[in-house]
Amino acid sequence: MSRILVAMSGGVDSSLAAALLVEEGHEVIGVTMKTFCYQDTPSHSKTCCGLDGIRDARRVADLLGIPHYVFDVEEDFTRDVVDDFVGEYAQGRTPNPCVRCNSNTKFRDLLRRGKAFGCQGIASGHYARVRRNESGEAALLRGRDRKKDQSYFLWGLPGEVLDVLHLPVGHLSKDDVRRRAEELDLPTAGKAESQEICFVPTGDYRDLLSRHLPQRHPALEPGPIVTSDGRTVGEHNGYAGFTVGQRKGLGGGFSEPHFVLEVRPDTREVVVGTKDELEADALEAEEMNWLSVPPDPAENIEVQIRHRAPSVPGTVRSVAPMLEIGFHRPQRAPTPGQSAVVYRGEQLLGGGRISRAWSNAGREQAPSA
Amino acid sequence: MKPIYLDYAATSPLRPEVREAMEPFLSDGFGNPASVHRWGRDAGRALEDAREEVGESLGVPPAEVFFVRGGTEGDNLAVLGRIRSRLRAGAPAHLVISSIEHSAVREAAAQAGREGARVDTIPVDARGMPDWEVLEAALESGADLVSVMWVNNETGLVLPIEEVGERCRHYGVPFHTDAVQALGRMAVDLKSFPAELATFSAHKVGGPKSVGVLVAREGVELEPLHFGGGQEGGLRPGTPDVAGAVGAARAVRLAVDEGSSRDHVRRLRDLLEEGLRSRIPDLRIHGGEGPRAPHISNLGFPGVDASTLIVSLDLNGVAVSRGSACASGTEGASPVLRALYGPEALDYAPVRFSLSPATPEEEVREAVTRTVETLERVRAMEVGA
Repeated sequence: MSRILVAMSGGVDSSLAAALLVEEGHEVIGVTMKTFCYQDTPSHSKTCCGLDGIRDARRVADLLGIPHYVFDVEEDFTRDVVDDFVGEYAQGRTPNPCVRCNSNTKFRDLLRRGKAFGCQGIASGHYARVRRNESGEAALLRGRDRKKDQSYFLWGLPGEVLDVLHLPVGHLSKDDVRRRAEELDLPTAGKAESQEICFVPTGDYRDLLSRHLPQRHPALEPGPIVTSDGRTVGEHNGYAGFTVGQRKGLGGGFSEPHFVLEVRPDTREVVVGTKDELEADALEAEEMNWLSVPPDPAENIEVQIRHRAPSVPGTVRSVAPMLEIGFHRPQRAPTPGQSAVVYRGEQLLGGGRISRAWSNAGREQAPSA
Repeated sequence: MKPIYLDYAATSPLRPEVREAMEPFLSDGFGNPASVHRWGRDAGRALEDAREEVGESLGVPPAEVFFVRGGTEGDNLAVLGRIRSRLRAGAPAHLVISSIEHSAVREAAAQAGREGARVDTIPVDARGMPDWEVLEAALESGADLVSVMWVNNETGLVLPIEEVGERCRHYGVPFHTDAVQALGRMAVDLKSFPAELATFSAHKVGGPKSVGVLVAREGVELEPLHFGGGQEGGLRPGTPDVAGAVGAARAVRLAVDEGSSRDHVRRLRDLLEEGLRSRIPDLRIHGGEGPRAPHISNLGFPGVDASTLIVSLDLNGVAVSRGSACASGTEGASPVLRALYGPEALDYAPVRFSLSPATPEEEVREAVTRTVETLERVRAMEVGA
């Protein structure tokens, strides 16, 4: 038995995570992190981190008979996650704020406070698993329920977090989680899944950008839509609305479907092309993090380049100065700002933030920095 | 490990004498004081007895005692009631508050501002001294209400409200004081006191929650915040909480009568502060530069995060708060500490310990030991992380 600090969002997954730890006989302490200013969000918002989330987490903690505290991490969250989110869009990239939060904010805060509270472990309700060998070395594995697997969002965890991390629902399916939550009568058992980004509860991220970016920022101003061979074929209403691989919002008039190939913030151009032009053989990623020894270039590993995409065979060609990954078969639209995550079977080895991708046919998707 | 409660400025347990006084009105004496029958008359008598008991304890006639639903409502009624009576008459309204008021006054003032009143804030320094020039200027320009708290709820600082009141009186400006933390901790006698309005709360002194008293001296015009059956002279309509009023009256009387316990509480506080100071040399005592009420010790711990420290203390069996229970959960220095100490306030994690005459001395000593242990661990982790 040990003292474990569990992050409770007020959703069913972290509620059950806390309940399972209590069941295992641990001394559990629940915390909910207030990550953004709730006054800005509409009441009755469905996102799990809203004030409703805090109340629900508290009610679950009451039921479990464990203490529960609320921590305001808004300052760190705004700096590390929201500002980054805005900055990435301003640079024509497509950020993944959940990865950013897990890597920089949530788990670091949890670890720091957990130590202060005399906890031996920390926990969350993510669908992923931690395996420890006899010498106590920890490995991060995919959640057993592949449909719900959230390991993709956890590649940036600091190693010291993984060392003490518990993920109690990682071996369950969502149905199991709901069933167990119902059996335990957790008030959050039937709660709807949150799909939106917690600080953009309406899903309208352009509105957030317009509030955070200076007036008339180029990312939100009209610019040309051009083809890869330089022809202007239309106008867009701000490149922040476009992500690599996107088809919507480009207007018609093409002989075959066109997709966004690249966003060029310096010229405000959105470059479009055909499906074939989207394919890439390799990518480069920055801010890489390894939760195990990086794989040898000779080893066949698997790479996942977006949430809910299958992982595909490839190799880690280089880890210095940047992570360079080659695909065995060309992949559609690796997107700058999203994560490239490296797996060996079930085990997550590490990952990085995609900065560019290219195909051997010669065309680059994003200008090298 | 037995947890130690040191958050009496947040709330206190019901005193046995108070519970005993209330009990008849929670059972057989359930009547509505507005009813003509014997149940109603019995309840009405109890309510008026309670009003007299409060009046006697505080030194005012019973007709100037109004039962309200707690300190926040009393503060709101005094501030907004006064301002709205001016605005309703089509007159300009001018409100003056101190920079370290409880949120019940601060937010009521903000609302008054939204409704069209001019709101001036008098800076208060770390000794609890208001900026007299700013006050004089506001009074000279024709203020309609000045509201300055008696004892600051976060630091225990005692403000020179008698002088504030005298100056207001000189200009004929009504003066309100939020006396919630003064009751039982200061000698409160309003007989010749220069305040037209004063707010008290029962639960801070062993009374029931959600019952307060607004003393409104004769001649002060207040617009009610609620509308209905005209109870409490029309100032606070709604069926009276007779049991609550009876309990509040008993708690107020006990608090006023037991003045000698204040020295005992002060000794407990000194024991706490000396114990912590001897082990934590860089400890700061917020409000220590000025006169303080005996029950509050707001300590600034350098190099740690306040909420982490307070939660750690809770886990280690010491129940304290960040300065104001009403603001718990928010990080950073409170508006009050910022007003008193400026941006420097952010360097010290504020923790409010507050004591009761019933706090045993060994609990204070044990709290010192646990606090020192906790602080050492939190500091070690903050450095390590």
